Amino acid sequence: MRITVKLIGPFIRAFGFSEKDMDVPPGTTADGLLGVLAVDRSRPKIVTRNGRAIAPGEELQAGDRVVISPIYSGG
Amino acid sequence: MNGWTGHILRVDLTKKTYKKESFTEEWARKWVGGRGFAAKILYDELKPGVDPLGPDNKFIVALGPIAGIPAPNTGKAVVAGKSPMTGGYGDGNLGTRVAEHLRKAGYDALIVEGRADRPTMLAIEDDKVEFLPADEVWGKGTYETNDWIYAKYGKGVGVLNIGQGGENMVRYAVVRSLEGRAGGRTGMGAVMGSKRLKAVVVKGTKPIPQADPAGMKKTGTGDLREVHRIDKESGWSIQSTNGVLAWCNEVAALPVRNFRKTHHPDAWKVDGERLNDARIATYGCPNCTMRCGITIHDDEGRESELDYENIALLGPNLEIFDLPEVGSLNYLCDDYGIDTMSGGCVLSFYADAIDQGAVAGDYRFGDAAASKKLLGMIARREKPLGDLLAEGTMRAARAYGKGTEAYAMQVKGLEVAAYNCKFIPGMALAFGVSPIGAHHKESWVITFELKSTSRESYGPEKAQKVIDLQRIRGGLFEFIVSCRFPWVEVGWGLENYPKYFNLVSGLDWTLDDFWTVSDRIYALIKLFWLREYPQTDRKLDYPPAVWFDPSNADTEGPIAGQILEYDKYDGLLQHYYDIRGYDRRGIPTRSTLDKLGLAEEARAAEKFGSLT
Repeated sequence: MRITVKLIGPFIRAFGFSEKDMDVPPGTTADGLLGVLAVDRSRPKIVTRNGRAIAPGEELQAGDRVVISPIYSGG
Repeated sequence: MNGWTGHILRVDLTKKTYKKESFTEEWARKWVGGRGFAAKILYDELKPGVDPLGPDNKFIVALGPIAGIPAPNTGKAVVAGKSPMTGGYGDGNLGTRVAEHLRKAGYDALIVEGRADRPTMLAIEDDKVEFLPADEVWGKGTYETNDWIYAKYGKGVGVLNIGQGGENMVRYAVVRSLEGRAGGRTGMGAVMGSKRLKAVVVKGTKPIPQADPAGMKKTGTGDLREVHRIDKESGWSIQSTNGVLAWCNEVAALPVRNFRKTHHPDAWKVDGERLNDARIATYGCPNCTMRCGITIHDDEGRESELDYENIALLGPNLEIFDLPEVGSLNYLCDDYGIDTMSGGCVLSFYADAIDQGAVAGDYRFGDAAASKKLLGMIARREKPLGDLLAEGTMRAARAYGKGTEAYAMQVKGLEVAAYNCKFIPGMALAFGVSPIGAHHKESWVITFELKSTSRESYGPEKAQKVIDLQRIRGGLFEFIVSCRFPWVEVGWGLENYPKYFNLVSGLDWTLDDFWTVSDRIYALIKLFWLREYPQTDRKLDYPPAVWFDPSNADTEGPIAGQILEYDKYDGLLQHYYDIRGYDRRGIPTRSTLDKLGLAEEARAAEKFGSLT
């Protein structure tokens, strides 16, 4: 299934893209997506799906927009 | 006494006199510095009801015990006075060499009283204080004024100055320092202007008293290198604070069109990636190794230093999505010496009022050229429009009526910073209970709220988190007077701050000692408000009405159809009061005041308002 992944801030440098469509297997969870992208699990981050926070074990759906952002703290 | 110089410089501009005053170590331990010193001095010395723009208000510069000492991000000062925006306690902080020089001149704070008979520059060089004419730069912007001062004293001195906004007492005029820093959006530039104080220049050469100077030097300089390393490794300063713009756009928290909308398809044009692409220079404050300022060329080729708040409020909030144009509006605010956040909110309010049919006018969202023109009219207080908008959104809305008060985006008279909280209850609370009006510096709870709680919740965990962050951000970093960025943005441990404090003071404090001081200062500021507004009630701690208006709910996107609810917000506010030990009006109870060592201050407050 096809989803859109958007990275924020330093993650763009770390993974070499800002936003792209990706094909992932049905049943892929938010945490599974981090594994596919090889995101450092220990790095503080917030993952949202369609603008709302998503738990690591939640399954993604076709057409989802997933945003992976570091924890900003408001300057 | 170590850690403090033990002295305050008091200056009377009316009489052109000054004196060096001493304070005790007991007093220093109780209030520590910065906001603590400023709040205590203003509480003790200002008569309630005093005109914030009259000679009886006081302009204070207050420093902390680690100011001027090489350690992560210690080059900051607090500027304070009674706020022309709110009528309550007002302050702000800014990066400036004044922090180091005033301490090396032998002072932990400067109190400026009275009103000069002509434009004046106060020049402090160790024990020498001079009242110098500043007519030559009266009417000039902050950049030209800064150059004028540097030409006289060299670039290494500490400088505070104001632009035309401060001179003309635009209520949200700020104090400026260096080439790109501003502070005191509660109107501290207007307070300087009301005193005809165009600038303060400071040069100090004495050692700062420290218990363990060798240990502090070794620790501080090593930590500066470590913060630099962590920042480079994390990549934070690539986009700096403006990394958050794209995120706010994704989670429906971006102010767009006077906060009517929470996201916009063109927001990417002014996001952190585009800002980094346009970068021509990087800018930081003294003693900073993770510099946050990103400078670009504006649409007229001038250098403009941008960050998230000014981009969001002068950009998407005005529906302007051209980075050089946003840079131009930012440059003008900086040069006039008016706050970029309130400036953006005032313009968006005016466009909205026209849009809603409450006011006649040609100004429209998205019009950068007209926005530039309006900023000039405001800075010069050109009557009638510029003069009215120079008053801020609360007063402009009172003048316009016709329901405009609902979308004047302010709390207690101070415009909200760049987070659209129409469905972010905890962050709305943070704006509501900020002790100086709606400022993001006190408690930035939005990430915690969206990551670790339900967005729909109005539970006590959000109130507790707001308080936890207030203790750190509005407390610790405002009274020890150090930039919060190493902690907040790259994870520099809070435990480092008692370490620095103990090295300079010789004391043995823990973070818990700091939290007590934080709570004491917040409670004292509440008493300041009570004296100014004896009939105060909890409505003062409510965010703008438009965030509760169902007709203003998003029609699409992540929070479609959702909006804050009054009853639930009021419950969240009560959680905050209960945890803090405040009564139903939001005023600390006698019991709370006693616990915080504020019995004497409570007695002073009772002459003007009741305590429970």
